[in-house]
Amino acid sequence: MKTEFAFIALPVSALIAPSAFAVRYLDVEQAQQAIFPGKSFTAAPVKLTSVQRKAIEQASGVRVLHDEQQVWRVGGGGWFILDEVVGKHEFITYAAGINADGSVKQIEIMDYRETYGGQIREPKWRAQFVGKTSRSTLKLDSDIKNISGATLSCRHITDGVKRLLAFYEIALKQ
Amino acid sequence: MHRRMKFGFAAAILFVVSTAHGHEAIFSWTYTTDLTPKGHGEFEQWITTRWEKAHGTYSVVDFREEFEYGVTDNFQLAIYLNHHYVNANDDIPVADPAHPKKLLPGRYETGGEDVHAGHNPEKPFDSYHFESVSLEGIYRLLSPYKDPIGLALYFEPSVGDQETELEWKILLQKNWLEDRLVWALNVNYELEYEKAEDGYERDGMFEWFTGLSYRFVRNWSAGLEFWNHHEFADATVHEHSAYFLGPTIHYGGERWWATLGFLHQLPIGEAFSQDNKEFAAHDGYIFGDEHEKYYVRFKVGINF
Repeated sequence: MKTEFAFIALPVSALIAPSAFAVRYLDVEQAQQAIFPGKSFTAAPVKLTSVQRKAIEQASGVRVLHDEQQVWRVGGGGWFILDEVVGKHEFITYAAGINADGSVKQIEIMDYRETYGGQIREPKWRAQFVGKTSRSTLKLDSDIKNISGATLSCRHITDGVKRLLAFYEIALKQ
Repeated sequence: MHRRMKFGFAAAILFVVSTAHGHEAIFSWTYTTDLTPKGHGEFEQWITTRWEKAHGTYSVVDFREEFEYGVTDNFQLAIYLNHHYVNANDDIPVADPAHPKKLLPGRYETGGEDVHAGHNPEKPFDSYHFESVSLEGIYRLLSPYKDPIGLALYFEPSVGDQETELEWKILLQKNWLEDRLVWALNVNYELEYEKAEDGYERDGMFEWFTGLSYRFVRNWSAGLEFWNHHEFADATVHEHSAYFLGPTIHYGGERWWATLGFLHQLPIGEAFSQDNKEFAAHDGYIFGDEHEKYYVRFKVGINF
């Protein structure tokens, strides 16, 4: 049986050796300028209360994973929100720009390291979110088109934006 | 295949994998309803080792090379090669010549499902053998990411010189906690025509696999798998029920994934036929032709 155990040892060493290559497409500043070109940004992080958290979950139907949300107030009106959702293997970091009227100005994918679904970064796919508000249904397949092989990523980003729009209504709207 | 060649083969595959970018069967035995998307392919290498029966020596290393292709987003075709290395000696009880339905106490011979028909049972068996070629088709009806539950149908014919098999599976998957907790259930039926001394022997197998796995940190998930196997001689006579349980761990990256799992036969097996009660059951375990006590499976996949 010694031979068979050696066959087990080899794969185990391969398992623990390399990890996926990390690629960050945009940092925070680049994402801010991509969504709100030429504007100024003031950090305004939000720590949710349990009441707010529950209200967001109830309004969006999406679980809130973190109580702290990284938010920037945009000069001239609007909000820049940094967020992450669970991908197939890793977290997907993205940013959402919210207009002063509470509608989505633009979203930008900052980190995406999944096997399939690179099209998620393309302007055409991201453009589907533009103009959506907390009153929009935001459902995959009907409101937002799915990408072959990346259903989980598409659904989680769609759910994430839905959650951020509820977050805007409950924690940011004045 | 010589041992050095086998090491070289495994090392070469692992080298290729180690230098590729970082993807996906999260279980070692249980299938999920995840498929290769349309127009994409995947290469998988499986290595399964299984060993120990009630007596003597019995160890097998099964190799499988698989190429999968997404025909549509919900239909995947795969072709794979099955080959194995078998080492067996004095592993099954000898029947009493005066009473063929009774064993001869303390006497064993070499046999088992992987020992070729025609081999002298008084001699050890040590051989590498190309087993069969399989074709696999999986059609997904419901996606766990869009529907309340994932559902897919599986069909696989295999053709080899020692046996020919037909296998059907129903695959179910349910996800929770942002799809990080995955439960899968497979209900399988397999019809097998195995080469015997006097032609072919027909066996039927009903089995179910289930697994629960949680992605505990990015890229890594771990869980438990359970397997219950029922054997039917001539596809009609219920011979036994054997149970297996063990952990599984999975790494999934951008371009490749790997999964390692272990199964231990539980000593709660049941023999139903007189033949199996006499020759296969041993201290709660079921051995006979079909089962071993320990199973380890390693799978690695490269997406392209």
